[in-house]
This record gives sequence, structure tokens and C-alpha cells, in this order.
Amino acid sequence: MYRPNGNCLRRFLKRSFCSAENIDSKVQIFDRHLKRKQRDRAAWLLNRKDSLVNTVADNLVDRLEDVKKTFPSALCLGGSMEAIRRSIRGRGGIEKLIMMDSSYDMVKLCKDAEKDLSSDNIETSFMVADEEFLPIKESSVDLVISCLGLHWTNDLPGAMIQSRLALKPDGLFLAAIFGGETLKELRIACTIAHMEREGGVSPRVSPLAQVRDAGNLLTRAGFTLPGVDVDEYQVRYNSALELIEHLRAMGESNALVNRIKFLKRDTALATAAVYESMFAAEDGSIPATFQVIYMTGWREHESQQKAKRRGSATVSFKDIQKEFGGQTT
Amino acid sequence: MVRGSSRVVEIISKTLSEMLVCPLSKQPLRVCEKSNSLISHAIGVSFPVVDGIPCLVPRDGEIIETDSDRTTADSFDAKTDHKTAQE
Repeated sequence: MYRPNGNCLRRFLKRSFCSAENIDSKVQIFDRHLKRKQRDRAAWLLNRKDSLVNTVADNLVDRLEDVKKTFPSALCLGGSMEAIRRSIRGRGGIEKLIMMDSSYDMVKLCKDAEKDLSSDNIETSFMVADEEFLPIKESSVDLVISCLGLHWTNDLPGAMIQSRLALKPDGLFLAAIFGGETLKELRIACTIAHMEREGGVSPRVSPLAQVRDAGNLLTRAGFTLPGVDVDEYQVRYNSALELIEHLRAMGESNALVNRIKFLKRDTALATAAVYESMFAAEDGSIPATFQVIYMTGWREHESQQKAKRRGSATVSFKDIQKEFGGQTT
Repeated sequence: MVRGSSRVVEIISKTLSEMLVCPLSKQPLRVCEKSNSLISHAIGVSFPVVDGIPCLVPRDGEIIETDSDRTTADSFDAKTDHKTAQE
């Protein structure tokens, strides 16, 4: 994994990126302002018993128990931060938590819910901010955690670089994003229904990162000891419309810049019909796949293990074989 | 600056005041109690604080000075310093 020119390459990427960091990203895939509005709506529709979100949040926070380090100060980026707040329950030694989202209503909801959770003595602060423009001083938090929010950023590497800069040395970046397999059934159903009713296709489901991209993203953002793993969840709904309701409640509605801004009623119904006829289970329920990519990365610190420089070995493998290989034969 | 940071506590929490910087320039923010906002001198933008929650999305920010006032960085700095002194 550690090729000799890996470090140079990473440094080069970092440098070439930093110079462009403050310039507006040219490619705008998602309408961030619309996403804010959708998240405002999601704050009203929020379902605290959403098993998908709760499972992902719990899985993510659970990773804090795998490390011996404690994280006195943590920053929770947008996404399902309400679920994260509930699932911390004293894990990771978090003392100070900053919760951040781009939607004011979402932040307000979390602030109002705080009084029900005050038993675990975490000092929480709240702010409204954009992951792409992180207003956090360099080297100031031990943990950046993001649950199902970063897949809506236009500039994911930029957001991750900013998160890395916000971390103290040896700080942990922990994120869950939806992966490319997410909603593949809906993607297919939408395409077929659109072709049939309107004779053309427009994107209804956003492009998402693939698993192989996630590792590259972490390395590109300059994290050390990158780790990626994937989970797939099947959620069953009574009808395709219920799926759409669920997506709305999560704030995961379509926010592509190039979307067609209306959806014809019969196309919508056709999509639901295609979905049901193609993917419905025997008992009539509608399955939907959610692929979640978990990413972990650390900010560089000299205490971390790393591969030795190539050619720095002082003992030849042949000698080792002579020494130990001779004993076994 | 010191005077500013001791006042911060009153409208936003201490933790936040220690960590927040301007989302665009990454420079320190000054708390303005009078307008209940956070001001980034580096780019001349004020961000509102609503109900103790600072709103730091670039879109929420308001440009304080007009473009014609901001001909050079130096004159801009002098102007804002003057303003602070008046307060």
C-alpha cells in the first residue's frame, strides 16, 4: 500500500489542492441551498425511531470504543447528527461536542432535544455552517464525526481536507456516507418509467461515491491509516411512496442542480408501479438497498505506525531465512 | 481583540468562541454584541447569531462595507478599527 512515491504524490495533491481551496469549485452537482431547505423540512418530519439512521449512527459511534484514545472535544458535522447525539451515551470520552448543520431548523431541533439528554454531562454547542466552508480553527478538535451528510457536498475532498485541518494531530475523522449501490432499485425504476412516459431520462437519484473512491478520498485528503468498510442495509416498505416519504424525512430528496424541477404525476405513479412489479417481495413489501460506506482516517502524528522507507532495511531476508528457516528444516 | 474575546461568552458559548473562525478566510471572528453578530474583518462580512446559534453559512453572511469603500485592504482595516473604537 505504501509505495515509495506515495508520500510525494500525496504532498503534491495536497499542495495543488490547497492553492485552489478557496476558489469556488467549478463543478456544482448539488444545489446546496435546496439541500438546506430540504433539511429544514426533514427537521419537521424527523423520525427518532428511524431504524436505518439509528443503526448507522450507532455503528459509527461504536467505532470509538475500538480505540484506546479518548476524544474530549468532538465536532459533529451535518447529516443525522441528532441520531449521533443520542447514540454517544458516554462513548469515546467526549466532553465537549459541537453540533453543526446547514439547516437552522435542524440545529434548533437538536438544541431543544438537548434537555432530554443532559444526563451524560456532555457540553454541547450548536452552530449553523456548511461542511464545504468549515468555520473551525485549525487543530482544535479531537474528533470529527459525520453521519450520512458528506455525500451531498459538491467538493467532498475539500470538505475532508478542511475536517483534517480542524483536527488536532492524532485526531480521528469518522464518516458514514451513502455509497453507489444505494437506491439502485429506485434508480432503475425511475429510468424505466421516465423512458416509457417521457421518452427520455433525467437524473432523479444523485451520483454517489463508490467504495473504491472512498479510500482514495481519504488518502487524497491527507489522512493517515485510512480505513474503509461497507455495510448494506435492506429496508422494506409497504409501498414505493412510503420509501419516498422516508427519504424526505431523512432530508435525502433529490438536490441535483440539473434536476428537472417537476415530476409529472403519471411518471411518478409509473415509477411506483415499475418499482413494485420489478422488485416487490413475495409478501408485497418493497425492498430498498442502502449502501453505507464507513470511512476512518487520522491526522498525522509521529506516534502512529508507518511503513519504513524503502531500502532502509538493515537485515537481508536471505539472512533471516538462514537464521530461522534452518531451524525448522 | 482581548476585550472582544472576554465579551464573547455572553452571546455564544466559550467553547464555540475559542474555536470559530471565518468560514471563508479562516481568520478570527469578532463578536459584536450590539448587532448580535460575528464579524470577520478579513473579508468584511458579518454573520448573525440567532438564539445563541451562530449562522456561519457563507450565504447567511452580510457584507458590511460596500465595494467602493474597500479599495485597499489597509484603508479598510483602518476604517473598521475606527468603528470598533467608536463602539
